[in-house]
Amino acid sequence: MIYIFDGAMGTMLQNAGLPPGYCPELWNQEQPDIITAIHKSYIDSGADIIETNTFGANRIKLTHYGLQDKVRQLNTAAVEAARAACGPNTKIAGSVGPTGKLIVPLGDLTFDYAYDVFFEQISALDQAGVDMILIETIIDIQEMRAALLAAKAVTKKPVICQMSFGGDERTVTGTDPVTAATILEAMGADVIGANCSLGPAQLLPIVQKLSQVTNCPISVQANAGMPSLINKQTIFPMQPKEMGEWAEKLALAGARYIGGCCGTTPEHIKSIQQAVKSISISNLPTIQQANKTTALTSRSKTIYLGANHPTVIIGERINPTGRKQLAADIASGQFISVKKEALAQIRAGAHLLDVNMGVPGINQAEAMQYAIQELSMLVDAPLVIDTTDTMALEAGLKAYPGRALINSVSAEPERLESFLPLAKKYGAAILCLPISSDGVPKTAQDRLLVTKQIIHKAFEAGLKPGDFVLDALILTAAADASAGKEALATLKLYREHLGYPTTMGLSNISFGLPRRDAINATFCAMALDAGLDAPILNPYDPLMQHTLAASALLLGHDPRGRSYSINYAPTSQTEERADHSIPKNIIEQIRQAIVSGEKEAVIPLVEQALKEGYSSITISEQALTTAMNEVGLAFGSGQCFLPQVLLAAESMRAAFLTIKKELPNHATISLGTVILATVKGDIHDLGKNIVAALLENNGFTVIDLGKDISPDKIVQAALDHKADIVGLCALMTTTMPQIDITIAALKAAGCQARTIVGGAVLTKEYANQANADSYAANGVDAVTIAKKVMSN
Amino acid sequence: MPIYNPIIKNLDMNELKRYSGLTKCTEFPQSLLDQACIEAQIVSKPKAIWEIYDYDPISSTILSPEPLHLPPTVISKHLANSQKVVVIAVTIGTKLEEMVSEYFTKNEYTLGLLLDAAGTTAVEIAADQACELIKQQANKEGYSPLFRFSPGYGQWDITVQPQILSLAHAEDINITATSSCMLLPRKSITAVIGLTATVCNAEHDQDSKCDQCQQVNCLARKD
Repeated sequence: MIYIFDGAMGTMLQNAGLPPGYCPELWNQEQPDIITAIHKSYIDSGADIIETNTFGANRIKLTHYGLQDKVRQLNTAAVEAARAACGPNTKIAGSVGPTGKLIVPLGDLTFDYAYDVFFEQISALDQAGVDMILIETIIDIQEMRAALLAAKAVTKKPVICQMSFGGDERTVTGTDPVTAATILEAMGADVIGANCSLGPAQLLPIVQKLSQVTNCPISVQANAGMPSLINKQTIFPMQPKEMGEWAEKLALAGARYIGGCCGTTPEHIKSIQQAVKSISISNLPTIQQANKTTALTSRSKTIYLGANHPTVIIGERINPTGRKQLAADIASGQFISVKKEALAQIRAGAHLLDVNMGVPGINQAEAMQYAIQELSMLVDAPLVIDTTDTMALEAGLKAYPGRALINSVSAEPERLESFLPLAKKYGAAILCLPISSDGVPKTAQDRLLVTKQIIHKAFEAGLKPGDFVLDALILTAAADASAGKEALATLKLYREHLGYPTTMGLSNISFGLPRRDAINATFCAMALDAGLDAPILNPYDPLMQHTLAASALLLGHDPRGRSYSINYAPTSQTEERADHSIPKNIIEQIRQAIVSGEKEAVIPLVEQALKEGYSSITISEQALTTAMNEVGLAFGSGQCFLPQVLLAAESMRAAFLTIKKELPNHATISLGTVILATVKGDIHDLGKNIVAALLENNGFTVIDLGKDISPDKIVQAALDHKADIVGLCALMTTTMPQIDITIAALKAAGCQARTIVGGAVLTKEYANQANADSYAANGVDAVTIAKKVMSN
Repeated sequence: MPIYNPIIKNLDMNELKRYSGLTKCTEFPQSLLDQACIEAQIVSKPKAIWEIYDYDPISSTILSPEPLHLPPTVISKHLANSQKVVVIAVTIGTKLEEMVSEYFTKNEYTLGLLLDAAGTTAVEIAADQACELIKQQANKEGYSPLFRFSPGYGQWDITVQPQILSLAHAEDINITATSSCMLLPRKSITAVIGLTATVCNAEHDQDSKCDQCQQVNCLARKD
């Protein structure tokens, strides 16, 4: 059966005379007859379910009208007005819309406050007697999670969750329908769907995607097409007949609840009802059956684990155990190393990231919450919450705008009692670790038994077949000769008897042994063949990367070896590079290393040149200065670019420092003294810093005064240091006049230094009128001019 | 309006190259570009805030509680068909610019320059994401947003910055202006986005961004 929802409330209220800017929900009390009449018109048009006029009846939205203390009254009045219109078979859905604010980390509203706001409204709707809760038009999955949790806490009545997607089939905060459905079904949504933002044509592919991944019935409430603004009125163009035609397509795509959103009227609903009532039940797609694949998600990505999916790599590096720097980073609250590890592991090929905040002495719940929030903004890989601390687990699960994997749930009673309800509440999957109160089972058969106990308890707690990842448990091969064999046998038993996806922490096997990488990679290959789906490993290990790539090919996850070939076939570029001939002369090699900006390579070359008896002057003049001149010319002719010039300058500096280190008495001759400053009122200093770097590494003595420097200070410094050149920089039109003022002050003080000016907005003409001696368009130009000034 | 913290999961490498003057460069160490990207992602704290106002195109006035009259330059022409305007402020915070300075102090000029360019890329991405949210909300009411137009471009005097910040409620995300009207943090953007009843020509809008700018020596200028 297909159920028919009603259509737009706002459009109908405007037609009934609701003044612009007036609180629509206030009419539940002030004009209940109008509200009832609108509901009645939808029921008369065929709606099975009507939605209360409570879309904005939450505390935050009502604050705009000073009505924040009327949440209960306005929601109750709305349900009464709806009930007054109902026939014997009409159902009432309590409409719950967004708060209008974004939840941390996307916004500044806390998850707990959002939860409280929804709890308050949904309680009022529930107690007033709605038949179901409809959470709708949500663009942030975290807001939907807060609302769904609140609804589940308030009532056992069905909860419908409808997100709003854009033309790219994602919410504007990045969630696609597959990911949304995966998260919401696991959290206990009864119906999942989409409404608003788009017309039925654009929502059709979203319904199709939903129907492929969720066992829940699907709801859809499209706008009456894409709106236009005509005479300051928002007009939705789609006529009822066309809406009905689309409703049929939506039903055939899998929608079981169909209604309308913005711009739809009772006529649209009538057309929808007539279109779908003729559809034969046998033509409708059947609901998906549960399978044993486990899906995990971030806010914007879903990853599947299971025998029919490619191997999933769980990065193990965000774990402070035995890693002092990472532990200190977490304890200090910086989380810089945590973020670096996250990004680096993703780049190295990790699909999921294990997150462990087990630093002794810190508040692990706070650390986990922060880490999960920050990582959810940084990477789209789903996260694995790795903790033994119940509070840390709940903090992490609550903060995560996705479906996490809990690492881990053992068969120990206290772990089962505390972790399983949290997994159910927050819709997380669990990693089943076969450890019981009796300790670690030695044999594969015993591990299978313990894992079955965990799964049994999990089913009792309400978890479902798609909620498990089984750990085969690896002991250390150095301590237990059968460790590898039993783990492999466990994987095979899991596959044979249970069929759920499997995992294990690979590197345990090699603990205490040399060349751990060889053992880990070999064991990984064996385990993948035995049925391992998601190894937990160090993704940076190159040998492991080769093994995984080769295994994907051999196990049929890399058709025709395409990925393998892309990664391992020699490229023409590397071949070309191999052909490069190395200059024989060491001076020539240094020059070339500077030009190419090879900072690290230049140091041993200079050391070697000195050993070969070349004087520092020869190295400076024939290699370093020649190289910088070459770079400058290449820049001037557009063959070399600023970052390359800077790399050359850094290499030049490395060369100078090496000479100085090897020959401490080596005297360097300064080409001249330059005072540099960004003028008063101007806080931009990138360009000035670049000029300073280039001048310094071309042999000038640079006194960099910094940014926002007053004319007095510049004059004083120029006189004190007997400057040969004063370089002034201004970035904005508002600070440009300070160039004139500073030059005038220098001249008034009798300073003989030549002035060079530059900066984004400066021009040669402006420099002339400001009485500057020269204008430099860029850093290389500034060096050329400075050299010219000094040679004169 | 709510505060929105955009997500930056990927920095566009082409934009990073453009802002650091490497568009035409074929050989440059990828590791340095990657490092700049990673560090920018890690230290950026993107935040956006905006407010929507009615707009009177005849008098070129933003109808805020204290109306703001716009000069008869490109900005007024740009907004000629707008019925409303969004005044927006976006930042990635101060940490990145501090790191850029640290790199220069440590004589790692190249990373300093690249990180600065990555910061520019990041704040532009943050602004793009905020604009996407605005666009979806505007589209629901039948409006189409024009491309964002910032003070300092197209002869729109930068001295309007304090008023624009005020209209966007930028103090709520800690953006301020110096006495010379520069934004603090430096990696911040303010802009006005016109909302029209008609669909704008997006391609034309894209092309016109560099055309409106007088900084002919800019590293990032598009040909």
